[in-house]
Amino acid sequence: MEQKLRDGAKALLEQGKVDYIIGFEPGSLKFTTTPLITRDKDDIDRLVINPFIVNNLSAYLTELEGRVGIVAKGCDSRSIVSLIQDKQIAREDIVIIGIPCPGLIDLSKIEQLAGKDRDEVDDITREGDRVVIVVDGKKQEFPITEVLFDNCLGCDMPTPSEYDILLSESSPLVTDKTSSRKKIEGLKGTSQEERWSFWEKEFSRCIRCYACRNVCPACFCKRCFVEESEPQWISPVPQWQDNLMFQVIRNIHVAGRCTDCGECERACPVNIQLRSLAKEMYDIVDDLFQFKAGMDKEAAPLLTAYAVEEAEDFIR
Amino acid sequence: MASSNKKISKRDTGKLLNEWSQEFAVFVPSRETGVATMAKWDGKDTSFLDWHRNTVIPPKANFLPAMEEMFNFQRDKEGYHIELPPQDKHKQLIFGIRPCDAKALAILDMTFSDSYQDPYYLSKRKNAVLVGVGCTKAYDSCFCTSLGISPAESTDVDLMLTDIGDEFLIEAITEAGKKLISRSRGLAEANEADETRAKASKEAAYQKVTRQLDTDNIKQRLLANLENKDYWEKIAAKCLSCGVCTFLCPTCYCFDINDELVKQQGARFRSWDSCAFPVYTEMPMENPRVEKWRRVRQRVYHKYEFYPMSFDVTACTGCGRCIRLCPVNWDITQALNNLPAKV
Repeated sequence: MEQKLRDGAKALLEQGKVDYIIGFEPGSLKFTTTPLITRDKDDIDRLVINPFIVNNLSAYLTELEGRVGIVAKGCDSRSIVSLIQDKQIAREDIVIIGIPCPGLIDLSKIEQLAGKDRDEVDDITREGDRVVIVVDGKKQEFPITEVLFDNCLGCDMPTPSEYDILLSESSPLVTDKTSSRKKIEGLKGTSQEERWSFWEKEFSRCIRCYACRNVCPACFCKRCFVEESEPQWISPVPQWQDNLMFQVIRNIHVAGRCTDCGECERACPVNIQLRSLAKEMYDIVDDLFQFKAGMDKEAAPLLTAYAVEEAEDFIR
Repeated sequence: MASSNKKISKRDTGKLLNEWSQEFAVFVPSRETGVATMAKWDGKDTSFLDWHRNTVIPPKANFLPAMEEMFNFQRDKEGYHIELPPQDKHKQLIFGIRPCDAKALAILDMTFSDSYQDPYYLSKRKNAVLVGVGCTKAYDSCFCTSLGISPAESTDVDLMLTDIGDEFLIEAITEAGKKLISRSRGLAEANEADETRAKASKEAAYQKVTRQLDTDNIKQRLLANLENKDYWEKIAAKCLSCGVCTFLCPTCYCFDINDELVKQQGARFRSWDSCAFPVYTEMPMENPRVEKWRRVRQRVYHKYEFYPMSFDVTACTGCGRCIRLCPVNWDITQALNNLPAKV
C-alpha cells in the first residue's frame, strides 16, 4: 500500500494535478507519525501507512489554497465529505487517496497492558487480529481489539466510500461495539449527581488549550464563539463550568458533522474523556434524524437545512 | 570518610514528608486529578517515588496557575471597592521537581522580577522550598543535556535528591536547604560509597537523554533565517495553532486578563495565553502575527533568540513537553536542527 501511495502522490504532484500532498510521515517519537504537508515531490518517499496514523488530516483542508491530494482513512473521508456539504471546500479541489483503515493502535492502552510508558516499549507489531508487544525483550500477545482506539472499535466505515484513488480493496478492521461504548455505558449506569461530579472533575483539568477544537475538522469556523467578546458567550478564564459549557456548545456545533474520528480525546493533553460526549451526540443525531455525518456529498448539512414538511412547527 | 551530604531510605521518605507537612504545604507529583501534576500531598501515597521523569503539567503552574484571581470588586453608589484575594501565607514545599523544571523557574524569575516585580508570582515563589529529585530515565522527547542541564543535577533547588537504589542521597544546595536539613529528623550521614553510587546514578541518567539539539551558533543561525519565509512556512504547515506547547512549557509565561462581572460584583482574573493563538493580543489592538508561520517562528525565536538577548539565558530547558504532548508531534529540535546554513 505504501509504495502505491508514494507512486500515486508523486504522479499527482508531477502531473500538476495537485498543489499539495497531505499524508503521514514517521514522527520524531517512538510509535508516532506526523502530518506531512508538502508541495515537494522529493518529500513523497517519506509517506508511510502504519497503525499509528492517528491524525484526521482533513482539518488542514480549509487552510490550504489550491488543489490538495489527501490521504484519508474512512472517518477522515467522511470529514472531507462533511466539509464539502458545508461548502468549506470544493470536491474538485480535493484528490482523496483512500486507505481502507485497519484500525489504529491506542498507545495509552498499550501503556496499560505493558505497564510501561510508550517509549519504554521495544516493539509493537500487528499480526492479523493479534498484536505483539515486546517489553524488555519479552513478547506478549493480545487480541488486536484490546489495543485499538475505542472509536475504531465502533467504526462502521473503515474504507472510504468517497475517493479518487483507493489503495486496497478492503479493510481488515476487527470491531467490538460493546468495548467501543464501554466508557459511555459506564457513565450512563451512574446517577445524574455522579455524572455531574464526574464531569466537574474532568473539566477542572481543562486548560483551554483548544487542542480538541483545533484538531477537529468539523470545527472549521474562522472565528469560534468561545473567542467572541461582544457578546461574551463563555468566559475565557478556565473555570470548570465554562470549560464544560465550551465543550457542550462545541458538541452541539459539530452535531451532524462529527464522524467519531476520536481526535478530540486523543489530542487532549490532560486526558479529558471527550469522546464520550462526542460519540453520544453522534448516536443521538443518528437516532433522532437517521443521519450519519459525511456519508453523501450531495446531502444537505443536517442542522443548516430544513424541509417544508418538517415535523416541528417552529421551523416552518 | 563521611561526606557532608545526608541520605534517607525511600521507605522513610513518607515520614520525612509528613514531618515537612507540619511546616509546609507539601506538593508532590500526582495523577490524582487524572493527569500528572504537582498536587498537594495526601500524606499517604508515595508511589511517585518510583516515577522517573517529569509531569505533564509543569510546576510553573504552582506559581503561575492556569487561572488566578488578581482582585475582586464590588460596585455601589460610591463606585468600585477593590479587595485583594486572601494571600496564602502557607509555605509551599515542592517535592520531586526535576532539574529542567527547576531551571525553568529560575528563568521565569527573571521575567517576573525584572523592571516590574510581579507580586502574584513572586509572593508564591519567595515562600517556596524546592526539593529536586533527579530523573533516572528520560523520555524520548527529553533534550535537557543539549541545553547544559543534567537530568539528575540542579543548582536551582534548595535540596537535591539522587536515587541511589533503596535510598536517596540528599545534597543541600542553598542556605534554606541547609537549614531545612539541619532541622529534619531521620536523615543519616552519607558515606563515600553513597557518593560513588550517586555519581554513577547521575552519569547513567545523563546517558539516557538521547535527543540532541544542535546549539552551535544557534543565535546566529536563527538571525540568518529570520526572514526565511519559505522555511518557516514549510515547517509551520502542520501546526494546529492550539495552546498545548506554550501552556505546558515550563518557561512560557504569557497571560490574558479578564474581568468576570455578575451584577454589581466581580473579579479580575489572569489566565494562560498563547502566542500560537490567532487571537493573541487582539484585546489591546490586533495580532501582528496573522499568518501561522509568524506565530510558529515567534515561539522558537522567543526562546532561543529574544530571551537570550534580554536575560542571557535560553528560555528552553529541553523538558520535551512541547514535542511529546503536541497533537501532531511538531518538534522544536527538528525545527532548529534543520535550519538552513545558507539562506
